[in-house]
Amino acid sequence: MSTSTGLEQDAVRAEARRGLLIGLPAIATLTVLFAIPLIIVVAYSFGTRTRTGRTDFSTLDLSAYQRLADPLVLEIVSRSLGYALLTTVICLIVGYPFAYHLATRTPRVRAVLLVLVMLPFWSNFLVRTYAWRVLLGSDGPLVRLLGALGIDDVVLLFTPFAIVLGLVYGFLPFMVLPLYAAIERIDHTLIEAARDLHASGWGAFRAVTLPLSRSGVIAGSVLVFIPAFGAYVTPELLGGSRTTMLGSYVVRQFLSARDWPFGSALSVAILAVMLLATTAYFRTGGRSL
Amino acid sequence: MSALGAATARLRRPRPPRTLAPTRAVERLLAGNAWLVFAFLYLPIIALVVLSFNDNRLASVWGGASLRWYRELVSDAAVLSALRNSLIVAVASTVVATALGTAAAIALERFRWRGRRTFDGMLFLPVIIPDVTMAVMMLLFFVQVFRFAGNMLGITGAFGLTTIILSHVAFNISFVAIVVRARLAGMDHVLEEAAADLYASPWQSFRHVTLPLIAPGIAGGALLALTLSLDDVVITSFVAGPGSTTLPVYVFSLVRRGVTPLINAVSVLMLAGSMLLVIVSLSLQGRRTGGERRRDGQRSLPSA
Amino acid sequence: MSAPAGVGPAVSLRGIRKVFPGHRGAEDTVALEGVDLDIADGEFFSLLGPSGCGKTTLLRIIAGLEFPTSGSVRINGREVGLEPPDRRPVNTVFQAYALFPHMTIADNIAFGLRMKRVPSDEIRRRVTEALELVRLTGREDRMPSQVSGGQQQRVALARALVNRPEVLLLDEPLGALDLKLRQAMQLELKTLQERVGITFILVTHDQEEALAMSDRLGVMDGGELVQVGTPGEVYERPNTRFVANFLGDSNLLTATVVDDGALRLADGSIARATAGRPVGSTVTIALRPEHLDLRHADAPRDAHLDAVHGVVVKAFYMGSAIYYDVVLDGTEGMLIEVRQGNAPGIENYGVGERVRVRWNPHSTTVLAD
Ligand SMILES: Nc1ncnc2c1ncn2[C@@H]1O[C@H](COP(=O)(O)OP(=O)(O)OP(=O)(O)O)[C@@H](O)[C@H]1O
Ligand SMILES: [Mg+2]
Repeated sequence: MSTSTGLEQDAVRAEARRGLLIGLPAIATLTVLFAIPLIIVVAYSFGTRTRTGRTDFSTLDLSAYQRLADPLVLEIVSRSLGYALLTTVICLIVGYPFAYHLATRTPRVRAVLLVLVMLPFWSNFLVRTYAWRVLLGSDGPLVRLLGALGIDDVVLLFTPFAIVLGLVYGFLPFMVLPLYAAIERIDHTLIEAARDLHASGWGAFRAVTLPLSRSGVIAGSVLVFIPAFGAYVTPELLGGSRTTMLGSYVVRQFLSARDWPFGSALSVAILAVMLLATTAYFRTGGRSL
Repeated sequence: MSALGAATARLRRPRPPRTLAPTRAVERLLAGNAWLVFAFLYLPIIALVVLSFNDNRLASVWGGASLRWYRELVSDAAVLSALRNSLIVAVASTVVATALGTAAAIALERFRWRGRRTFDGMLFLPVIIPDVTMAVMMLLFFVQVFRFAGNMLGITGAFGLTTIILSHVAFNISFVAIVVRARLAGMDHVLEEAAADLYASPWQSFRHVTLPLIAPGIAGGALLALTLSLDDVVITSFVAGPGSTTLPVYVFSLVRRGVTPLINAVSVLMLAGSMLLVIVSLSLQGRRTGGERRRDGQRSLPSA
Repeated sequence: MSAPAGVGPAVSLRGIRKVFPGHRGAEDTVALEGVDLDIADGEFFSLLGPSGCGKTTLLRIIAGLEFPTSGSVRINGREVGLEPPDRRPVNTVFQAYALFPHMTIADNIAFGLRMKRVPSDEIRRRVTEALELVRLTGREDRMPSQVSGGQQQRVALARALVNRPEVLLLDEPLGALDLKLRQAMQLELKTLQERVGITFILVTHDQEEALAMSDRLGVMDGGELVQVGTPGEVYERPNTRFVANFLGDSNLLTATVVDDGALRLADGSIARATAGRPVGSTVTIALRPEHLDLRHADAPRDAHLDAVHGVVVKAFYMGSAIYYDVVLDGTEGMLIEVRQGNAPGIENYGVGERVRVRWNPHSTTVLAD
């Protein structure tokens, strides 16, 4: 009975054409300004540095990648991982109760508090980090306060402490917001049900709230870990020569050492870690960041 | 039921339990933690503002309040030129990225086409990629472009505002697209079908139905793009040329040489700028949603 | 399945097939298969069927919101083919109304006219008329969120009708309303349709709604249109088991064709009905519970009625009627439901009692499957 008129295919094709057309400017831009640069970086990572600091592509090899196993590089990588993980854990420990507190306020209070959390997030990141440099400096208010308390000769700036503090300060809102969203979504009656089934307050929290806010915990952790691991501004402003993180090390390859192949290999490695972290995130059932 | 009966019934009815709120002691701990977090978030900012008014060159010595550093700042040609560059870059890259990102969001959310998933993945990468990697990518890209242009076409390119703007567009498209797409996903597609059913062409449907409804998302995406552009140090410093330094890059280079009250003043101005931006956008949003109730139809469709 | 003779059909569908391709290895969904249908001008036609049978898809194909995989769609004789929805003289009342949340009620209603570039004073006049038609005068400056569900439904109706479409499509327009409002709106909708004389195609789950409002209705199952007819035809003469059970309740009995006008039932008794099948073949007949009545098994026979015997196993007292479950002789526990009117003087039967179940041969329907 039915005679194929191809109506539908025509319609589907027309729609596909229109979609592609609308997306085309962005696709073209991202291809030129993102995909091609990415390919170029990968290409550089297989080159070698000539004596004059130029890059030689005639012998594509893995020498830049082999140098990733240098003890110095490994030290910097593990330091970056350590700082990033520590930052993530601190953000979680501080941020969870904070987000919980926010989520249990009345809607009006909640709205105000949320704006207060967002405001620093929207303010200039460099300036906020710079503020800590002023506060922690050797003639800054904190050191003088400690001195007045009888604790002399403390060095706060240019220490791992300063870096982690700066990272926590910079990325705490990334932890709080998804946690808040997850906790706020939880159906209150579930907790009532748990209490009704003789769970203690803590028991109900562990049985209901914590598992149901898991998505927020994971999203927040990924959102903090990723920028913390690749951080540049914070360790540059608050760290010292013995607290070099990966971001600064990469920059150094380009701006002072002029070892572009090695810098490119490092960049590719960082990208790989990021992709791993996000893939793990999506594997654990995370939705869009 | 008598009035008295109703009143006592109301008294006897248990207040709805705040079940998420735990016991008093825990509640106090949580509140304490919240106060500490807010203090942690705001004290550095407040300290910076205070110090920017300190007449003394040393941060540790209070020399009385003065506008000395602000005065010095407005006559500092380097700061002013950096500020000018920053604004040019931020506005230009935001406008371009918002247009492209919105189009990308619509193409991804409302149409099915081959390559859609690949594009979706590509769009996601700039969000998770660290600044340093992005900076390296842009630097090497422009170096190659300039080399190619020089060798093949005899054109000499140079790092400058254009390269900075292009780099900012590259990372901002994705952020705008994500924000707008979330808004689009929350908007029922049936509204667009209803518009088409009521004789609206695809363009009219977009203009009169889709656009007004996703406008807050577009504004949010643009604000994010503006903020990210004004925040950026690393990428910009990689692709900046002589004379095209932006304010954050300039401040960053100053800070590395040491802290001065002048930087405090610049920083406070930058903070004030970003906060102003957020507050304006929040109040605009507030008016938008509040107005819906008050407007009562004085507004009408712009006649087609 | 042709429309009543006279004017040409307002909507004419031929061989409509719709396949939704499965995504990422999932199987394709055949939402519609071989749908042929003519709907007359000015007719109130309902599409009825269980969830997922393709009602919405068929409506969307007529509106142009979806294109058929194959088949032809004509509106007032014109092939609409690939015409997009904005070029079709058809308007839709969407299931959840799809009112534009950022426009006032007046702007919602005026939308279609503005898109067609009708002069603004005419728009004003027609919007006012439409508001009167759905009794919403005075509410025109409110936003959709500021009026009740029933009023939103009427706005959706006005927004479609104001364009004077040749065909109005309604996808479960009353589904979101509570029972009372729904019944009031059913009446209103029917009256309105008679007044404006526009062809209405209504999709509904609700059989009573379909029976009460339509001039004709079509029953769909699994993407196919299984029966089309007036409410009386479809209810009284269902053509398949599916229709017999979907519209009201039916008792289905298996029978063997004895000769041209007679069927033999399981207990050996004869039912008078024309099957149109060869002698010896097995058919299914449908009997509505309300067309059956009960007598004591030993009561005198009535030559005008057909009957089977059985034992009452359950009696449900429902006020105006009593329902009996009767196990028929010669079947293994096969139940037949009888709805006996509960008037004074009508006898009641107890569980375990032997009864005769009787019916008028005219109420026997021989099913096609
Ligand atoms: N866009 C689509 N993509 C894939 N499958 C679809 C799509 N739309 C409908 N279907 C499938 O087609 C079949 C018919 O759907 P349709 O919406 O027409 O049913 P319906 O009769 O309107 O059901 P209901 O009464 O629940 O509204 C269903 O199996 C449905 O899952
Ligand atoms: Mg449906």
